[in-house]
Amino acid sequence: MLLVQTNLLLAKDISVSASVDRNSIHLDDVITFSVKIEGTRDFPAVPSPQSDGFVIISGPSQSSNIQIINGKMSASKTIQWRLAPTKTGKQEIKPISVKYRRKNYRTKAVTVTVSDRKTTTPAPRTGKIPTPQAQAPRRVESGKYNIFLKANVSKHTLYKGEELIVSFDLYFQNVRNFATQKLPDARGFWTEQFPEKRNPTIASVVMNGIAYKRATLRRLALFPTTTGDLMIDPMVINCEVVVPGKRRRSVFDDFFDDPFFRDPFFSSTKTVEVRSEPVSVHVRELPVVGKPAGFSGAVGNFVIESIIDTLQTKQDQALTLRYKISGSGNINAVKLAPLKLPANVEIFEPKIERTINNKGKSIRGSVSYEYVLIPRSSGRLRIPSLNYVYFDPVVKRYHSSDAAGFNIDVKPLDQALVAHNAGFSKEEVSLLGSDIRFIIRDNPNWQRLGTTVFTRFWFWFINILALFIITGSILFRWWVDKLETNSLFARKRRALSGALTILKNVEKDIAGNELDDVCNKLDRGLMGFISDRSGLPSSGIGPKEIHRALIDNNVDIVLVESVDKLLRELEQYRFLPGELTDKDYRRLLDITSEIIGELSKVI
Amino acid sequence: MPKSLIILFILIVVLSAGMRAQSSVDFYYQKGNEYYLEENYAEAIRQYEAVISNGYESSELYYNLGNAYYRTGQLGKAILYYERALKQGPKDKNIRFNLRLANLRVKDRIDIPREFFIFRWNRNLVRLLSMNAWGWIMTLFFLMASVLLAVRLIINIGIFRRPARIVSTILFICAAMILCPLIQRYQMERSYSYGIILQSSTKSLAAPQEGSTELFIVHEGTKVQVLDRDGDWSKVELIDGKQGWILSSELEII
Repeated sequence: MLLVQTNLLLAKDISVSASVDRNSIHLDDVITFSVKIEGTRDFPAVPSPQSDGFVIISGPSQSSNIQIINGKMSASKTIQWRLAPTKTGKQEIKPISVKYRRKNYRTKAVTVTVSDRKTTTPAPRTGKIPTPQAQAPRRVESGKYNIFLKANVSKHTLYKGEELIVSFDLYFQNVRNFATQKLPDARGFWTEQFPEKRNPTIASVVMNGIAYKRATLRRLALFPTTTGDLMIDPMVINCEVVVPGKRRRSVFDDFFDDPFFRDPFFSSTKTVEVRSEPVSVHVRELPVVGKPAGFSGAVGNFVIESIIDTLQTKQDQALTLRYKISGSGNINAVKLAPLKLPANVEIFEPKIERTINNKGKSIRGSVSYEYVLIPRSSGRLRIPSLNYVYFDPVVKRYHSSDAAGFNIDVKPLDQALVAHNAGFSKEEVSLLGSDIRFIIRDNPNWQRLGTTVFTRFWFWFINILALFIITGSILFRWWVDKLETNSLFARKRRALSGALTILKNVEKDIAGNELDDVCNKLDRGLMGFISDRSGLPSSGIGPKEIHRALIDNNVDIVLVESVDKLLRELEQYRFLPGELTDKDYRRLLDITSEIIGELSKVI
Repeated sequence: MPKSLIILFILIVVLSAGMRAQSSVDFYYQKGNEYYLEENYAEAIRQYEAVISNGYESSELYYNLGNAYYRTGQLGKAILYYERALKQGPKDKNIRFNLRLANLRVKDRIDIPREFFIFRWNRNLVRLLSMNAWGWIMTLFFLMASVLLAVRLIINIGIFRRPARIVSTILFICAAMILCPLIQRYQMERSYSYGIILQSSTKSLAAPQEGSTELFIVHEGTKVQVLDRDGDWSKVELIDGKQGWILSSELEII
């Protein structure tokens, strides 16, 4: 195969390349266009090639290949179409775009040069009537030379997928050579060609009273891929017709009428283009009644057989299972459904091989699917029998062929290996035979998406509350302990409450007109407050000590003087209770309260 | 008076909206169950996912979704949702059973290296409860310890002092110990570090770029730990320690 264009695309993990078997052809040639995918086992779908200068005459046919070398697996798949050119010149087959895992892989366009048939030498595709080769002559009309090409079809009505044999017979009288110019376009058919005979068998026939020689030039097997009335276009050939030399009639005519002188040696040749008539056939849909579910579209007569390389294997050891479908019919449509085996068996992509035999009267062939299986657990592995369904157009019924199933004894790995084995345990194997448990039908307790315990208010509230409780209780215990153990601290903390209690009692005394001891109580309250707050002894304290203590505590001098003045006044009126009225006592009470209030802010 | 009326009105509106949302979610859930019973799993998935798109989740929902995906043969998605269900209900036997069954159908049979027993115990302990359960238990212990401590410190009765101190200390230690699995569980769930392969097979490369050396292939349903991200690529680690880069779009975080 001549690789015309190969394009290794984008990723090295998958490569897609497009190629043709020849990049320079004649108008009556057919090329094979191939797309090859490498580097994956789940091959993406490949679309048909698009080109203005070519038509697909058969395909796609696929073949895949899996190799395991030194434990590394490589896989490739090739899809092929047969294309016939429709015009001359540089014809481009557009790039094929393949989508694989959300990425597009594009091949490059493939260019094929198609040359006109006039300029080609027809020798490679020439059938030869056994006469000496003559010099290439001019082309002339065919009608007057009693030469015609007839397309014979094996049937005019057939089922979709059923084989239709078309033979092209040349009826002639004196043809030396022929060259195929154009094979018939058979749109709507998958086409297979029977091999062309180098020296076609020539038979003598009489048609409409004229003696002809008949040679079958070409036989095709067509398999309709669609339904309805389909047309098989004409086949075109060029014939070299022997034209006897023109002479005036003379006495020597009888002499020259001798067969010896009819020999082409004494004649000239002309090229005549001969076309067959187009033929129409009617294609019916396959019967719906009785069509089995697993029918893949195979029409003909097929047999399936199964082959396995061993019936005893070890866990994790590969074995090869092969299905072969052979028979006559539309081999191209033969395909197997995906293999269904227990989940503890790993199945690799099958290697598919398609062979077509066109040597007989009809197209025969076989398709083989070769699977590599790896049992992942020990025990008995049952490969069920496989039923392949096809439609037999002779009896007009669906038939099936069965491939035998197998029971494979899968031995466990050596005990030493089991501990680190990746296969299934006995328990897991039994679990594999069970089904999942049923759904829960009761309405659940819904929670907002993304919410966790850390996004809940109550979680943080409770935890922060707990922290407050801890901190608060520790502070409380520290407070209580300090009050109990530190008298100065206790006096300082209780000074204000003690002073306020005294002031309340004084207020009651004034209200009850018990004024004798008012000044004494106010003096005691004020001095007690200051000495408690300043840490002075609770007894033996006079205005001088109070004054000094206030100064030491950086109390404002104005406030100190107010305290001094109040203490002097209280001292004076303590011994002259009768000189003061209720209002005076109340004024002294207010001043004392005010001073205690001021002092409580600074000491 | 008008102020309190406005607050009451807002409360009623908020509560009724919440209840309406919950009832529609229940509706989707029950419709999903009905379709599941009719074996219309694709529609069941659609209904269950409508619940999620409404902003709600539960372990039961994820479990049912996992079942529906399992029935449709989407093993990766099934395992993903079983794992999500297990996050919220780690003790649920049905979830564990179905997840185990689904994992058996994963093509990758990876040898799990033997783990040091302390790490294994710790992992089992962390997985014993959900993050929420660990959080609430810790909160409960912490609150009980705090209250007991407060009572001991405030009341400070001689006969009560010693047992209260012992019990509150034990409770504090318990709360602190629960904090460890809680933090680990949080990291496990909220660090978004575990994912499930959703593609039937994915090549793991040596570097985050097309064309770099292929290291190994992972299949649908395999659980991987995401170690790093670089553009469209994620660095993953299998449970046997193998590391490689795969396309982020080929896995979904649990």
